[in-house]
Amino acid sequence: MTDTLNKENKLLEVLKEEFKLLSGKVKRSRRVEVVIENEQIIPILLFAKERLNYIHFSHMSCVDWIEEGKFEVIYILWSPEEKINLLIKTKVAREGEDLPNIDFIWRQANTYEREIREMYGLPFDGLVGREEFILEDWDEIPPMRRDFITNEYVSETYFEREGREDAKDVREQILGRTDEKLPDFAKKYSRD
Amino acid sequence: MREKSTTLYIGPQHPGITGNMMVKLQVEGDTVVKAETHVGYLHRGFEKLMERRNWLQSFTIVCRICVPEPDPNEENYARAVEEIEGREVPERAKYIRVMTLELARIASYLLWYGGQAGSAGLYTMPQWSVGDRNYILDLFEDLTGGRIYHMYIWPGGVRRDLPKGFKDKALKTMDYLEKRIDEYDKLLFENSIFQKRAKGVGIIDKNKAIEWGVVGAPLRGCGIKSDVRIDDPYEVYDKLDFEVPAMEGGDVWTRALIRRFEIRQSINIVRQTLEKMPGGEFYNKIPNPMKWKIPAGDAYVKTESARGEFAYYVVSDGTNKPRRVHVKGPAYVHGVTLLENLLVGENISDVSFIMNSLGTCPPEIER
Amino acid sequence: MSFFNLKGILSPVTALKQFGKKPHTVGFPEVSIEASDRYRGLHFNDLDACIGCGNCSTICMNNAIDMIQLDGIEGEKGDSGLRPRVDNGRCCWCALCVEVCPTGSLNLTKEYNFVSTDASDFLWTPGLSNKDKKDKISFVSDKETSLTEYTRVPMRELDGMERIKSFAEAVLGYNEEEARREASRCISCSLCTESCPDHMHIPEYINAIASGNDADALRIIYDNNPLPEMCGKVCTRRCEDVCAISVRGEAVAIRWLKRYATETAKNADIIKEIVNPEIREANGLNVSVIGAGPSGLTVAYYLALRGYNVTIYEAKAKAGGMTYYGIPKYRLPEESLEKQVGYIQSIGVKINFNTRVGKDISFNEIYEKSDAVFMGVGYEKPWTLGITGEDLEGSLQAVTYLDAINSGKEINIGDKVAVIGGGNVAIDAARVARRKGADVTIVYRRRIEDMPADWEEIEGAEDEGVHIMQQGIPLEIVGKNGKVTGLKIAHAEMIPDPNGGRPRPKQIEGSEEILEMTAVIGAIGQEGDYSFLPEEIMKQLKIERGRFVVNEGGQTNLSKIFAGGDSVNKTADAISAIADGFRAVKAIDKFLNK
Repeated sequence: MTDTLNKENKLLEVLKEEFKLLSGKVKRSRRVEVVIENEQIIPILLFAKERLNYIHFSHMSCVDWIEEGKFEVIYILWSPEEKINLLIKTKVAREGEDLPNIDFIWRQANTYEREIREMYGLPFDGLVGREEFILEDWDEIPPMRRDFITNEYVSETYFEREGREDAKDVREQILGRTDEKLPDFAKKYSRD
Repeated sequence: MREKSTTLYIGPQHPGITGNMMVKLQVEGDTVVKAETHVGYLHRGFEKLMERRNWLQSFTIVCRICVPEPDPNEENYARAVEEIEGREVPERAKYIRVMTLELARIASYLLWYGGQAGSAGLYTMPQWSVGDRNYILDLFEDLTGGRIYHMYIWPGGVRRDLPKGFKDKALKTMDYLEKRIDEYDKLLFENSIFQKRAKGVGIIDKNKAIEWGVVGAPLRGCGIKSDVRIDDPYEVYDKLDFEVPAMEGGDVWTRALIRRFEIRQSINIVRQTLEKMPGGEFYNKIPNPMKWKIPAGDAYVKTESARGEFAYYVVSDGTNKPRRVHVKGPAYVHGVTLLENLLVGENISDVSFIMNSLGTCPPEIER
Repeated sequence: MSFFNLKGILSPVTALKQFGKKPHTVGFPEVSIEASDRYRGLHFNDLDACIGCGNCSTICMNNAIDMIQLDGIEGEKGDSGLRPRVDNGRCCWCALCVEVCPTGSLNLTKEYNFVSTDASDFLWTPGLSNKDKKDKISFVSDKETSLTEYTRVPMRELDGMERIKSFAEAVLGYNEEEARREASRCISCSLCTESCPDHMHIPEYINAIASGNDADALRIIYDNNPLPEMCGKVCTRRCEDVCAISVRGEAVAIRWLKRYATETAKNADIIKEIVNPEIREANGLNVSVIGAGPSGLTVAYYLALRGYNVTIYEAKAKAGGMTYYGIPKYRLPEESLEKQVGYIQSIGVKINFNTRVGKDISFNEIYEKSDAVFMGVGYEKPWTLGITGEDLEGSLQAVTYLDAINSGKEINIGDKVAVIGGGNVAIDAARVARRKGADVTIVYRRRIEDMPADWEEIEGAEDEGVHIMQQGIPLEIVGKNGKVTGLKIAHAEMIPDPNGGRPRPKQIEGSEEILEMTAVIGAIGQEGDYSFLPEEIMKQLKIERGRFVVNEGGQTNLSKIFAGGDSVNKTADAISAIADGFRAVKAIDKFLNK
């Protein structure tokens, strides 16, 4: 198995030599993942593009780890020669920090950054482009943040259709038929 | 005399593409000098919805991201979940999946035939190809119970085994379509009007194509051999015999030729899967869906759709719901940065023609 | 290339040859095309097969399915009485509701045409709104493709022949992985809680186990059952009879899961630490409990938590009542009961062992010094078979036998034993006798499938080499020199009941035979022994057919006296006794705090 991952391991070695990685691993064949401080983003992207020939910018994503107070931003590159997807991950504070704009390296990154800015409220330093990309007249918190609760927004914004008020909960129905009393601490384990 | 610049809005509803999207054009005379893509007319927020649904419930909405070809979404979602969880998929299921994906590709290309010809004003072609697409939809109905949204490929395998008599029916349909595609050639590819319209229009620079993020048929139309099925093989594509076409040119015409070649190839792949398909299980059953947890981890998976590389980035935090499902369709790049650049200098009448040749699909931009 | 390329102009014209071909589109006037055999169209629900578990409503992420009450469908045990109603304006026909339906009642049909100008028409009840569409079902839920897991995680147990060598616990219990897997089969419908006499919070504690939180599971279990480990091992588990999954498969192993959760606490101190009960300040009220059986212990535990001063009077040396003296140790080890009783004592319950009321202490004394008295005295006195020869040496009753063995005494039964009866007590006696080295035959009047004993117990007995003679009627115990030498039986045939009841055995003429035996153990039931009650109380206390007459709170007609357990209810199992005790707790609390 190890010899089939040769080129992946080699890529990891090269990156380890050049950068101070927080962690790095070969996820599987054709997938290599490195985690890096966010100051290193532009150097590592340029290095990967110019020196390692990871010229195709596949993807850029953001994950809200609200419990840690961090956003995780993932840059995914592809090398048409090596045929490896390189995942570069970095974390940035949910409030008060920003990431560098990289659309001068790949111009399509502009679209991703605009979306992340709009959907997560994560600013990119030096990003030019219309503020509104997908949303329109939005004045709530950025909707892809974990603390934006879709159900709450929906129940505040829209009304339920009529004629469904007679719906019953099976658990309540059974509870109502017996003298069972469900203690409060157990309720979180009931079916939702 | 200096021409005055005018602003022109194409969309949000227009025949060039499926889904709603507006292109704001600055035109001087008939020539586009600036184009800007505006999305935001779909308002669906699938990625957000999936954060509040469990792993199985999320499976039913991913297909809705793309109408003409929902299956790559199902495939990506299923494969990402399987990769994070480490769930094995039976061999038979893999063959069925490939067959489904290729049938979807054929259906999608048939719709493209219609759109591409329709946007050039050739209206017989859409009647034919959309009608013939119905035969594929019939197959899907037999196989999955749904014509458009199949909800068939799910984590662990596929939902149901092939129905009785499916193989014969599918092979017959393939034979029929192969004959029809010869007739399409006469109607479309040998048609002077189409040739005149398509050649030299919407040219993508070969040297910049990869860097710009071009994928799929448009990239192969620049003479670059690139196909996820070969580069990052999934399911059983490495056991099948097929070829990736590549042609120099970079214009609408080359892209059309690539697709013309690939639709025949897909027919061939469907035949291969039907022949080679082993027996056995078609599904590695998941546990009770309401309590099904996926260990923490992430996966980046790709599938070659009819429009190019379709990717999912899925993150699990160890609970019964996905932390993040990020959908990246080819149109995310093709429909925005690429289209905005490609339209500059083109004729207004070619706008939707070019849009269609890129396979622009707004639901992929606004998931 | 020239625009006037001849081929480029002529080729498209070949399309004209399509002219006159039959189109494959839908013709006009419109014909309705029959959908495929797997089509996902409108829902159909078999209202009789549906048990209203609501799993369809839970899986539906579009909130399209409501559970509603329908006219003419009443809830009962194992049926919530609710049925799904689909909002077709929200449905996306993903058919996940079909895939998770445990009973297979909900299916999709080939019907896809449904047109109405009234939006409220789209809110309809499958099976009621489309009664006649049963033959149109297409996308069906079969056991192979269903997402319900119908197979139980197997319980590991000692091999039958290994088991009979000792009184070691036969069932080994789930390990953590097995428990999580088994718990995750549960669909949390809560139908089981209604069937449990004690209404334990089953879906909640199973969910807690499934999500890896055993401590919470134990807390939930202790909310209304102070002897859960005992129940986890030997409960008659009526809950599993109505499990939604049991309609088409094996019920969730509710009992084994409870056992798993309770066994995570290794001793009484750990139980106390996990359950960490809130004990109210002493309220100065005294409650006496007669009998440390399941109902007595329940009353004592929950009243002590509420600040009462509780004293239990127990005639024997150990607490647990029938669960100690009646249930063999291979099913419920002594340490397990002691751990649970130890925990109950640790929160302040006093137990006076070896104190038989009416002998060591008078009932009146207890009655006078207590604010309330609870009698959980059980059914101690076994019925005899009522046939000749029962006075012979070697003829005895199962509870007497079990009591002796559990007390550490030996009774000589020889090497060939007949056990008469088909209940759990009969099986217990047979399996104990087997462990004592005897060759055991169970003689039962009806068929094996009619036996009231647990099927697992019957299987266990068979694995251990116990013979079961079905349709055998005992006629006489024969003996020589005052000792049992055999059992005279007759064979029976089953006569169907014209009223639809269970078939009755009828003796076949001339089928009598004598089986050689060294002992005959009767296990056909017990009754109460109320000789401890003083005459004047006996006179006033209402007793019908050997049972105390009580109200729903367990209160007798003498308002200070409460009762529960076997001497009150007819179900005669530990969980019913616990349920009686739990109801009495609330009634006593209310009675003394009015």
